[in-house]
Amino acid sequence: MLLMFVMSSLFLIALAIGQDPISEHMKSALLWVVIMFSAAIGLGRSFVAEEERGTVLLLQLNVRGSQVLAGKLVFNFILLLAVDLVGLGMFTFLLSMQVENLPLMLTVLTLGSVGIAGATTLLSAIIARASNKGPLLPVLLFPMLIPLLLSVVRGASQALEGGLGWSGAEIELTTMAAFAGVVLSASFLLFEYVWTD
Amino acid sequence: MITPLLTLIQDAAQSVIQDSTALQSVSTAYDSLWSGADIPTQAPTALEQVMLSDEKIFVVLAVVLIIWFGVAILILRTDKHLERVERSVSENIPLKDDDL
Amino acid sequence: MMVNVKRYTLVRNLVFGWITVVLLAGFLLNFPKINILEQTARNLYFHVPMWFSMMAAAFVSGYHSLKVLQTADPLRDIRALQAARIGTFFGLLGLTTGIVWSRFTWYVGTDVWWNFDPRQIMVTIQLLIYGGYFVLRSAFDEPLKRAKISAVFNLFAMTALPFLLYVIPRQMQSLHPGAEGNPAFSQITHPVMRLVFYPAIIGFIGLFWVLYTQRVRVAWLKYRVTQDSEM
Repeated sequence: MLLMFVMSSLFLIALAIGQDPISEHMKSALLWVVIMFSAAIGLGRSFVAEEERGTVLLLQLNVRGSQVLAGKLVFNFILLLAVDLVGLGMFTFLLSMQVENLPLMLTVLTLGSVGIAGATTLLSAIIARASNKGPLLPVLLFPMLIPLLLSVVRGASQALEGGLGWSGAEIELTTMAAFAGVVLSASFLLFEYVWTD
Repeated sequence: MITPLLTLIQDAAQSVIQDSTALQSVSTAYDSLWSGADIPTQAPTALEQVMLSDEKIFVVLAVVLIIWFGVAILILRTDKHLERVERSVSENIPLKDDDL
Repeated sequence: MMVNVKRYTLVRNLVFGWITVVLLAGFLLNFPKINILEQTARNLYFHVPMWFSMMAAAFVSGYHSLKVLQTADPLRDIRALQAARIGTFFGLLGLTTGIVWSRFTWYVGTDVWWNFDPRQIMVTIQLLIYGGYFVLRSAFDEPLKRAKISAVFNLFAMTALPFLLYVIPRQMQSLHPGAEGNPAFSQITHPVMRLVFYPAIIGFIGLFWVLYTQRVRVAWLKYRVTQDSEM
Protein backbone atom coordinates (compact mmCIF):
# COMPACT_ATOMS: atom_id res chain seq x y z
CA MET A 1 0.00 0.00 0.00
CA LEU A 2 2.79 2.38 0.94
CA LEU A 3 4.66 1.63 -2.26
CA MET A 4 1.51 2.34 -4.24
CA PHE A 5 1.28 5.70 -2.47
CA VAL A 6 4.87 6.48 -3.43
CA MET A 7 4.36 5.44 -7.03
CA SER A 8 1.14 7.35 -7.54
CA SER A 9 2.45 10.50 -5.87
CA LEU A 10 5.63 10.36 -7.93
CA PHE A 11 3.59 9.92 -11.07
CA LEU A 12 1.49 12.91 -10.02
CA ILE A 13 4.62 14.99 -9.56
CA ALA A 14 6.08 13.88 -12.87
CA LEU A 15 2.86 14.87 -14.65
CA ALA A 16 2.67 18.17 -12.80
CA ILE A 17 6.21 19.04 -13.83
CA GLY A 18 5.57 18.04 -17.43
CA GLN A 19 8.26 18.31 -20.05
CA ASP A 20 10.13 21.26 -18.58
CA PRO A 21 13.59 20.36 -17.35
CA ILE A 22 14.06 21.09 -13.66
CA SER A 23 17.25 21.59 -11.71
CA GLU A 24 18.98 18.79 -9.80
CA HIS A 25 18.18 20.55 -6.56
CA MET A 26 14.48 20.57 -7.41
CA LYS A 27 14.53 16.87 -8.22
CA SER A 28 16.15 15.96 -4.94
CA ALA A 29 13.77 18.28 -3.06
CA LEU A 30 10.73 16.60 -4.65
CA LEU A 31 12.12 13.13 -4.00
CA TRP A 32 12.62 13.88 -0.32
CA VAL A 33 9.25 15.53 0.07
CA VAL A 34 7.64 12.36 -1.27
CA ILE A 35 9.73 10.18 1.06
CA MET A 36 8.83 12.27 4.11
CA PHE A 37 5.15 12.36 3.25
CA SER A 38 5.08 8.61 2.82
CA ALA A 39 6.84 8.26 6.19
CA ALA A 40 4.16 10.44 7.77
CA ILE A 41 1.37 8.45 6.14
CA GLY A 42 2.71 4.91 6.17
CA LEU A 43 4.73 4.67 9.38
CA GLY A 44 2.25 6.42 11.64
CA ARG A 45 0.28 3.22 11.94
CA SER A 46 3.01 1.10 13.49
CA PHE A 47 1.80 1.41 17.08
CA VAL A 48 -1.81 2.38 16.41
CA ALA A 49 -2.35 -1.02 14.79
CA GLU A 50 -1.09 -2.78 17.94
CA GLU A 51 -3.43 -0.72 20.05
CA GLU A 52 -6.39 -1.51 17.80
CA ARG A 53 -5.68 -5.23 17.59
CA GLY A 54 -5.22 -5.29 21.34
CA THR A 55 -1.78 -6.84 21.16
CA VAL A 56 -0.19 -4.03 23.21
CA LEU A 57 -0.75 -5.75 26.52
CA LEU A 58 0.78 -8.94 25.21
CA LEU A 59 3.87 -7.09 24.09
CA GLN A 60 4.08 -5.07 27.30
CA LEU A 61 4.06 -8.23 29.37
CA ASN A 62 6.41 -10.38 27.36
CA VAL A 63 8.93 -8.15 25.66
CA ARG A 64 11.13 -5.35 26.98
CA GLY A 65 10.29 -1.87 25.76
CA SER A 66 13.62 -1.32 24.07
CA GLN A 67 13.18 -4.53 22.11
CA VAL A 68 9.76 -3.47 20.89
CA LEU A 69 11.17 -0.13 19.82
CA ALA A 70 14.14 -1.76 18.09
CA GLY A 71 11.83 -4.11 16.20
CA LYS A 72 9.56 -1.30 15.05
CA LEU A 73 12.58 0.82 14.12
CA VAL A 74 14.12 -1.87 11.96
CA PHE A 75 10.81 -2.59 10.26
CA ASN A 76 10.18 1.10 9.56
CA PHE A 77 13.73 1.55 8.32
CA ILE A 78 13.41 -1.33 5.85
CA LEU A 79 10.06 0.01 4.68
CA LEU A 80 11.62 3.43 4.14
CA LEU A 81 14.51 1.90 2.22
CA ALA A 82 12.00 0.28 -0.10
CA VAL A 83 10.28 3.66 -0.49
CA ASP A 84 13.67 5.24 -1.26
CA LEU A 85 14.50 2.70 -3.92
CA VAL A 86 11.10 2.89 -5.58
CA GLY A 87 11.28 6.66 -5.50
CA LEU A 88 14.75 6.74 -6.94
CA GLY A 89 13.84 4.24 -9.64
CA MET A 90 10.65 6.04 -10.58
CA PHE A 91 12.40 9.41 -10.74
CA THR A 92 15.15 7.99 -12.90
CA PHE A 93 12.56 6.47 -15.18
CA LEU A 94 9.98 9.26 -15.34
CA LEU A 95 12.14 12.36 -15.16
CA SER A 96 15.17 10.80 -16.85
CA MET A 97 17.10 11.75 -13.76
CA GLN A 98 20.75 10.74 -13.78
CA VAL A 99 22.62 9.95 -10.62
CA GLU A 100 26.25 10.90 -11.12
CA ASN A 101 27.46 9.55 -7.79
CA LEU A 102 25.40 6.46 -6.94
CA PRO A 103 27.29 5.40 -3.77
CA LEU A 104 26.85 8.89 -2.33
CA MET A 105 23.16 8.84 -3.27
CA LEU A 106 22.65 5.49 -1.55
CA THR A 107 24.50 6.68 1.55
CA VAL A 108 22.39 9.82 1.72
CA LEU A 109 19.20 7.81 1.28
CA THR A 110 20.22 5.29 3.95
CA LEU A 111 21.34 7.85 6.53
CA GLY A 112 18.30 10.00 5.85
CA SER A 113 16.02 7.01 6.27
CA VAL A 114 17.59 6.11 9.61
CA GLY A 115 16.87 9.62 10.84
CA ILE A 116 13.31 9.63 9.53
CA ALA A 117 12.61 6.18 10.92
CA GLY A 118 14.02 7.21 14.31
CA ALA A 119 11.86 10.31 14.53
CA THR A 120 8.72 8.66 13.16
CA THR A 121 8.81 5.55 15.31
CA LEU A 122 8.83 7.33 18.66
CA LEU A 123 6.26 9.87 17.49
CA SER A 124 3.94 7.11 16.26
CA ALA A 125 4.25 5.49 19.69
CA ILE A 126 3.29 8.87 21.16
CA ILE A 127 0.20 9.31 19.00
CA ALA A 128 -0.89 5.73 19.60
CA ARG A 129 -1.47 6.76 23.21
CA ALA A 130 -3.57 9.79 22.28
CA SER A 131 -7.31 9.36 22.51
CA ASN A 132 -8.03 11.78 19.69
CA LYS A 133 -5.62 10.93 16.90
CA GLY A 134 -6.58 12.78 13.73
CA PRO A 135 -3.75 13.93 11.47
CA LEU A 136 -1.47 14.30 14.47
CA LEU A 137 1.68 12.66 13.13
CA PRO A 138 2.55 15.14 10.36
CA VAL A 139 1.98 18.04 12.76
CA LEU A 140 4.48 16.58 15.20
CA LEU A 141 6.86 15.08 12.66
CA PHE A 142 7.51 17.76 10.04
CA PRO A 143 8.93 20.49 12.30
CA MET A 144 11.37 17.93 13.70
CA LEU A 145 12.44 16.75 10.27
CA ILE A 146 13.26 20.19 8.86
CA PRO A 147 16.95 20.10 9.88
CA LEU A 148 17.25 16.65 8.34
CA LEU A 149 15.33 17.66 5.22
CA LEU A 150 17.70 20.54 4.55
CA SER A 151 20.78 18.36 4.73
CA VAL A 152 19.42 15.37 2.83
CA VAL A 153 18.12 17.53 -0.01
CA ARG A 154 21.51 19.14 -0.32
CA GLY A 155 23.31 15.83 -0.06
CA ALA A 156 21.10 14.21 -2.69
CA SER A 157 21.52 17.10 -5.11
CA GLN A 158 25.29 16.81 -4.66
CA ALA A 159 24.98 13.15 -5.59
CA LEU A 160 22.93 14.03 -8.66
CA GLU A 161 25.40 16.63 -9.82
CA GLY A 162 28.44 14.50 -9.04
CA GLY A 163 30.96 17.30 -9.53
CA LEU A 164 32.38 17.66 -6.06
CA GLY A 165 32.25 13.99 -5.16
CA TRP A 166 32.11 12.98 -1.51
CA SER A 167 33.77 16.09 -0.19
CA GLY A 168 30.89 18.21 -1.48
CA ALA A 169 28.49 16.60 0.95
CA GLU A 170 30.79 16.11 3.90
CA ILE A 171 28.99 18.42 6.34
CA GLU A 172 25.61 17.09 5.21
CA LEU A 173 26.67 13.49 5.82
CA THR A 174 28.01 14.38 9.27
CA THR A 175 24.79 16.19 10.10
CA MET A 176 22.67 13.28 8.94
CA ALA A 177 24.68 10.77 10.94
CA ALA A 178 24.60 12.98 14.04
CA PHE A 179 20.87 13.58 13.63
CA ALA A 180 20.23 9.85 13.32
CA GLY A 181 22.41 9.14 16.36
CA VAL A 182 20.81 11.76 18.57
CA VAL A 183 17.26 10.92 17.53
CA LEU A 184 17.84 7.19 18.03
CA SER A 185 19.39 7.58 21.47
CA ALA A 186 16.65 10.01 22.51
CA SER A 187 14.07 7.47 21.30
CA PHE A 188 15.53 4.69 23.40
CA LEU A 189 15.80 6.93 26.46
CA LEU A 190 12.26 8.25 26.19
CA PHE A 191 10.43 5.19 24.89
CA GLU A 192 9.98 3.61 28.34
CA TYR A 193 7.85 6.56 29.42
CA VAL A 194 5.59 6.22 26.41
CA TRP A 195 5.37 2.46 26.51
CA THR A 196 4.66 1.81 30.19
CA ASP A 197 1.81 3.44 32.04
CA MET B 1 -1.86 42.69 14.19
CA ILE B 2 0.94 44.60 12.49
CA THR B 3 -0.91 46.00 9.52
CA PRO B 4 -3.45 48.14 11.40
CA LEU B 5 -0.62 49.28 13.63
CA LEU B 6 1.45 50.32 10.66
CA THR B 7 -1.42 52.19 9.00
CA LEU B 8 -1.91 53.95 12.31
CA ILE B 9 1.68 55.07 12.30
CA GLN B 10 1.36 55.99 8.67
CA ASP B 11 -1.59 58.27 9.27
CA ALA B 12 -0.07 59.82 12.34
CA ALA B 13 3.16 60.59 10.62
CA GLN B 14 1.72 61.97 7.38
CA SER B 15 2.64 65.45 8.49
CA VAL B 16 6.17 64.33 9.20
CA ILE B 17 6.83 63.34 5.59
CA GLN B 18 5.77 66.61 4.14
CA ASP B 19 8.42 68.71 5.81
CA SER B 20 11.08 66.14 6.56
CA THR B 21 13.84 64.85 4.35
CA ALA B 22 12.21 61.47 3.90
CA LEU B 23 13.29 60.96 0.34
CA GLN B 24 16.90 61.71 1.10
CA SER B 25 17.26 58.92 3.58
CA VAL B 26 15.70 56.49 1.09
CA SER B 27 18.64 57.04 -1.20
CA THR B 28 21.17 56.24 1.54
CA ALA B 29 23.85 54.01 0.06
CA TYR B 30 23.71 50.35 0.97
CA ASP B 31 26.55 49.16 3.06
CA SER B 32 28.24 46.35 1.18
CA LEU B 33 29.07 44.64 4.48
CA TRP B 34 25.59 43.15 4.72
CA SER B 35 24.47 40.20 2.69
CA GLY B 36 21.13 41.88 1.98
CA ALA B 37 22.90 44.64 0.06
CA ASP B 38 22.38 43.22 -3.43
CA ILE B 39 18.59 43.04 -3.30
CA PRO B 40 16.96 45.00 -6.16
CA THR B 41 14.97 48.04 -5.18
CA GLN B 42 11.94 49.90 -6.44
CA ALA B 43 10.43 53.29 -5.71
CA PRO B 44 9.61 53.72 -2.00
CA THR B 45 6.01 53.21 -1.00
CA ALA B 46 4.15 55.58 1.30
CA LEU B 47 4.68 53.19 4.20
CA GLU B 48 8.39 53.15 3.55
CA GLN B 49 8.57 56.92 3.38
CA VAL B 50 7.18 57.08 6.88
CA MET B 51 9.30 54.29 8.26
CA LEU B 52 12.48 55.64 6.74
CA SER B 53 12.08 59.25 7.83
CA ASP B 54 14.08 60.67 10.72
CA GLU B 55 16.85 58.08 10.44
CA LYS B 56 14.37 55.18 10.58
CA ILE B 57 13.40 55.88 14.17
CA PHE B 58 9.82 54.80 13.42
CA VAL B 59 11.05 51.26 12.85
CA VAL B 60 12.24 51.24 16.44
CA LEU B 61 8.92 52.70 17.54
CA ALA B 62 7.06 49.95 15.67
CA VAL B 63 9.20 47.25 17.28
CA VAL B 64 8.73 48.64 20.78
CA LEU B 65 4.98 49.02 20.21
CA ILE B 66 4.69 45.42 18.97
CA ILE B 67 6.39 44.19 22.13
CA TRP B 68 4.25 46.40 24.35
CA PHE B 69 0.98 45.33 22.68
CA GLY B 70 2.12 41.72 22.88
CA VAL B 71 2.70 41.97 26.63
CA ALA B 72 -0.62 43.78 27.06
CA ILE B 73 -2.51 41.07 25.16
CA LEU B 74 -0.80 38.34 27.17
CA ILE B 75 -1.74 40.03 30.44
CA LEU B 76 -5.34 40.42 29.26
CA ARG B 77 -5.49 36.71 28.42
CA THR B 78 -4.03 35.74 31.81
CA ASP B 79 -6.62 38.03 33.41
CA LYS B 80 -9.42 36.28 31.58
CA HIS B 81 -8.26 32.92 32.92
CA LEU B 82 -8.01 34.41 36.40
CA GLU B 83 -11.57 35.72 36.17
CA ARG B 84 -12.82 32.28 35.19
CA VAL B 85 -11.00 30.70 38.13
CA GLU B 86 -12.38 33.34 40.47
CA ARG B 87 -15.88 32.62 39.26
CA SER B 88 -15.57 28.88 39.83
CA VAL B 89 -14.02 29.53 43.24
CA SER B 90 -16.96 31.67 44.32
CA GLU B 91 -19.35 29.03 42.99
CA ASN B 92 -17.67 26.15 44.76
CA ILE B 93 -16.61 27.66 48.08
CA PRO B 94 -19.24 29.33 50.25
CA LEU B 95 -18.42 32.79 51.58
CA LYS B 96 -17.29 33.12 55.18
CA ASP B 97 -20.44 35.11 55.98
CA ASP B 98 -22.54 31.98 55.52
CA ASP B 99 -20.94 30.40 58.56
CA LEU B 100 -21.85 33.25 60.82
CA MET C 1 1.05 27.86 47.82
CA MET C 2 3.60 26.42 45.42
CA VAL C 3 4.96 29.76 44.27
CA ASN C 4 6.96 32.05 46.51
CA VAL C 5 4.75 35.14 46.21
CA LYS C 6 7.10 37.42 48.13
CA ARG C 7 9.96 36.61 45.79
CA TYR C 8 7.67 36.99 42.79
CA THR C 9 6.57 40.46 43.90
CA LEU C 10 10.14 41.55 44.55
CA VAL C 11 11.40 40.31 41.18
CA ARG C 12 8.39 41.79 39.39
CA ASN C 13 9.04 45.26 40.82
CA LEU C 14 12.75 44.98 40.05
CA VAL C 15 12.00 43.93 36.46
CA PHE C 16 9.59 46.84 35.95
CA GLY C 17 12.19 49.34 37.15
CA TRP C 18 15.00 47.62 35.24
CA ILE C 19 13.15 47.60 31.92
CA THR C 20 12.18 51.25 32.39
CA VAL C 21 15.85 52.13 32.77
CA VAL C 22 16.74 49.97 29.74
CA LEU C 23 14.08 51.72 27.63
CA LEU C 24 15.31 55.16 28.68
CA ALA C 25 18.95 54.27 28.07
CA GLY C 26 18.05 52.59 24.79
CA PHE C 27 16.54 55.77 23.40
CA LEU C 28 18.66 58.43 25.08
CA LEU C 29 22.23 57.12 24.83
CA ASN C 30 23.79 57.92 21.48
CA PHE C 31 26.36 55.96 19.51
CA PRO C 32 28.19 56.49 16.21
CA LYS C 33 25.94 56.14 13.17
CA ILE C 34 25.92 52.79 11.35
CA ASN C 35 25.08 52.64 7.65
CA ILE C 36 21.71 51.13 6.65
CA LEU C 37 20.83 50.55 10.28
CA GLU C 38 20.83 54.19 11.39
CA GLN C 39 18.48 54.50 14.37
CA THR C 40 17.17 50.99 13.91
CA ALA C 41 20.37 49.80 15.55
CA ARG C 42 18.44 50.54 18.74
CA ASN C 43 16.28 47.53 17.91
CA LEU C 44 19.21 45.49 19.16
CA TYR C 45 17.94 46.25 22.67
CA PHE C 46 14.38 45.14 21.96
CA HIS C 47 14.34 42.54 19.19
CA VAL C 48 17.32 40.41 20.20
CA PRO C 49 16.29 39.87 23.86
CA MET C 50 13.07 38.26 22.56
CA TRP C 51 15.23 35.48 21.20
CA PHE C 52 17.04 35.10 24.52
CA SER C 53 13.76 35.03 26.42
CA MET C 54 12.42 32.36 24.09
CA MET C 55 15.51 30.23 24.64
CA ALA C 56 15.21 30.69 28.40
CA ALA C 57 11.56 29.64 28.17
CA ALA C 58 12.48 26.59 26.09
CA PHE C 59 15.07 25.53 28.67
CA VAL C 60 12.65 26.02 31.56
CA SER C 61 9.98 24.07 29.68
CA GLY C 62 12.39 21.26 28.87
CA TYR C 63 13.67 21.11 32.45
CA HIS C 64 10.18 20.79 33.87
CA SER C 65 9.24 18.22 31.21
CA LEU C 66 12.16 16.13 32.42
CA LYS C 67 10.91 16.52 35.98
CA VAL C 68 7.42 15.46 34.89
CA LEU C 69 8.86 12.17 33.69
CA GLN C 70 10.69 11.67 36.98
CA THR C 71 8.01 12.75 39.44
CA ALA C 72 4.65 12.88 37.57
CA ASP C 73 3.95 16.03 39.59
CA PRO C 74 1.04 18.07 38.15
CA LEU C 75 2.75 21.34 39.11
CA ARG C 76 5.74 20.37 36.96
CA ASP C 77 3.37 19.74 34.07
CA ILE C 78 1.77 23.16 34.58
CA ARG C 79 5.20 24.78 34.66
CA ALA C 80 6.32 23.03 31.47
CA LEU C 81 3.11 24.05 29.70
CA GLN C 82 3.20 27.68 30.83
CA ALA C 83 6.90 28.04 29.97
CA ALA C 84 6.07 26.73 26.49
CA ARG C 85 3.22 29.23 26.22
CA ILE C 86 5.43 32.16 27.19
CA GLY C 87 8.16 30.81 24.91
CA THR C 88 5.68 30.83 22.03
CA PHE C 89 4.74 34.37 23.00
CA PHE C 90 8.33 35.62 22.92
CA GLY C 91 9.00 33.67 19.74
CA LEU C 92 6.08 35.40 18.03
CA LEU C 93 7.27 38.79 19.26
CA GLY C 94 10.81 38.09 18.07
CA LEU C 95 9.50 36.95 14.70
CA THR C 96 7.23 39.94 14.09
CA THR C 97 9.72 42.52 15.33
CA GLY C 98 12.40 40.86 13.19
CA ILE C 99 10.18 40.97 10.12
CA VAL C 100 9.36 44.65 10.64
CA TRP C 101 12.99 45.52 11.25
CA SER C 102 14.35 43.73 8.19
CA ARG C 103 11.56 44.98 5.94
CA PHE C 104 12.42 48.63 6.56
CA THR C 105 16.15 48.22 6.81
CA TRP C 106 17.53 45.68 4.39
CA TYR C 107 14.51 45.17 2.18
CA VAL C 108 13.69 48.80 1.49
CA GLY C 109 12.25 49.11 -2.00
CA THR C 110 11.25 45.46 -2.21
CA ASP C 111 8.14 43.60 -1.24
CA VAL C 112 10.08 41.18 0.89
CA TRP C 113 8.41 40.72 4.25
CA TRP C 114 9.39 37.13 4.83
CA ASN C 115 12.98 36.13 4.33
CA PHE C 116 14.71 32.83 4.87
CA ASP C 117 17.07 34.03 7.50
CA PRO C 118 18.45 31.09 9.55
CA ARG C 119 17.30 32.53 12.84
CA GLN C 120 13.89 33.31 11.47
CA ILE C 121 13.60 29.68 10.39
CA MET C 122 14.74 28.43 13.78
CA VAL C 123 12.13 30.53 15.57
CA THR C 124 9.47 29.32 13.15
CA ILE C 125 10.41 25.69 13.74
CA GLN C 126 10.36 26.21 17.48
CA LEU C 127 6.90 27.77 17.14
CA LEU C 128 5.73 24.83 15.02
CA ILE C 129 7.06 22.40 17.62
CA TYR C 130 5.21 24.21 20.39
CA GLY C 131 2.13 24.30 18.16
CA GLY C 132 2.44 20.51 17.89
CA TYR C 133 2.95 20.31 21.67
CA PHE C 134 -0.29 22.20 22.33
CA VAL C 135 -2.19 20.17 19.73
CA LEU C 136 -0.84 16.95 21.25
CA ARG C 137 -1.94 18.01 24.72
CA SER C 138 -5.46 18.63 23.49
CA ALA C 139 -5.59 15.08 22.11
CA PHE C 140 -5.55 13.48 25.58
CA ASP C 141 -8.37 13.06 28.06
CA GLU C 142 -6.41 11.64 30.93
CA PRO C 143 -4.30 14.27 32.76
CA LEU C 144 -1.44 12.01 33.88
CA LYS C 145 -1.05 10.42 30.46
CA ARG C 146 -1.17 13.84 28.85
CA ALA C 147 1.49 15.18 31.18
CA LYS C 148 3.87 12.30 30.56
CA ILE C 149 3.45 11.88 26.81
CA SER C 150 3.57 15.58 26.03
CA ALA C 151 6.71 15.85 28.17
CA VAL C 152 8.28 13.11 26.06
CA PHE C 153 7.38 14.98 22.89
CA ASN C 154 8.70 18.27 24.25
CA LEU C 155 12.08 16.71 25.06
CA PHE C 156 12.23 14.66 21.87
CA ALA C 157 11.46 17.61 19.60
CA MET C 158 14.08 19.75 21.34
CA THR C 159 16.84 17.34 20.31
CA ALA C 160 16.31 18.16 16.63
CA LEU C 161 16.81 21.90 16.91
CA PRO C 162 20.58 22.22 17.42
CA PHE C 163 21.23 20.69 14.00
CA LEU C 164 19.83 23.74 12.34
CA LEU C 165 22.85 25.65 13.56
CA TYR C 166 25.04 23.47 11.36
CA VAL C 167 22.86 22.96 8.31
CA ILE C 168 21.19 26.25 7.60
CA PRO C 169 24.16 28.63 7.52
CA ARG C 170 25.49 26.64 4.56
CA GLN C 171 22.36 27.20 2.56
CA MET C 172 20.96 30.57 3.44
CA GLN C 173 22.18 34.08 3.88
CA SER C 174 21.76 35.77 7.18
CA LEU C 175 21.20 39.35 8.13
CA HIS C 176 22.48 38.67 11.62
CA PRO C 177 25.95 39.70 12.66
CA GLY C 178 28.53 36.98 12.89
CA ALA C 179 27.10 35.03 9.95
CA GLU C 180 29.16 34.51 6.83
CA GLY C 181 29.74 37.77 4.97
CA ASN C 182 28.42 39.89 7.79
CA PRO C 183 30.42 41.85 10.33
CA ALA C 184 30.89 40.15 13.67
CA PHE C 185 28.78 41.28 16.59
CA SER C 186 31.69 43.01 18.32
CA GLN C 187 32.59 44.85 15.13
CA ILE C 188 29.32 46.72 14.75
CA THR C 189 28.42 47.29 18.36
CA HIS C 190 29.80 50.33 20.05
CA PRO C 191 30.64 49.88 23.78
CA VAL C 192 27.68 52.13 24.53
CA MET C 193 25.38 49.71 22.73
CA ARG C 194 26.71 46.78 24.66
CA LEU C 195 26.21 48.73 27.86
CA VAL C 196 22.48 48.75 27.12
CA PHE C 197 22.26 45.42 25.30
CA TYR C 198 23.34 43.09 28.10
CA PRO C 199 21.08 44.69 30.72
CA ALA C 200 18.26 44.52 28.15
CA ILE C 201 18.75 40.74 27.85
CA ILE C 202 18.65 40.38 31.63
CA GLY C 203 15.58 42.60 31.82
CA PHE C 204 13.60 40.69 29.23
CA ILE C 205 14.55 37.30 30.66
CA GLY C 206 13.28 38.76 33.94
CA LEU C 207 10.09 39.76 32.16
CA PHE C 208 9.76 36.18 30.94
CA TRP C 209 10.10 34.96 34.52
CA VAL C 210 7.47 37.40 35.79
CA LEU C 211 4.91 36.59 33.07
CA TYR C 212 5.60 32.87 33.43
CA THR C 213 5.30 32.82 37.20
CA GLN C 214 2.13 34.88 37.03
CA ARG C 215 0.56 32.36 34.68
CA VAL C 216 1.81 29.42 36.76
CA ARG C 217 0.08 30.95 39.79
CA VAL C 218 -3.20 31.29 37.92
CA ALA C 219 -2.90 27.83 36.34
CA TRP C 220 -2.10 26.19 39.68
CA LEU C 221 -5.08 27.91 41.26
CA LYS C 222 -7.23 26.70 38.41
CA TYR C 223 -5.89 23.18 38.82
CA ARG C 224 -6.71 23.17 42.53
CA VAL C 225 -10.24 24.36 41.87
CA THR C 226 -11.15 22.42 38.72
CA GLN C 227 -8.51 19.64 38.51
CA ASP C 228 -7.79 20.86 35.00
CA SER C 229 -4.17 21.70 34.20
CA GLU C 230 -4.79 23.16 30.75
CA MET C 231 -4.71 26.92 30.42
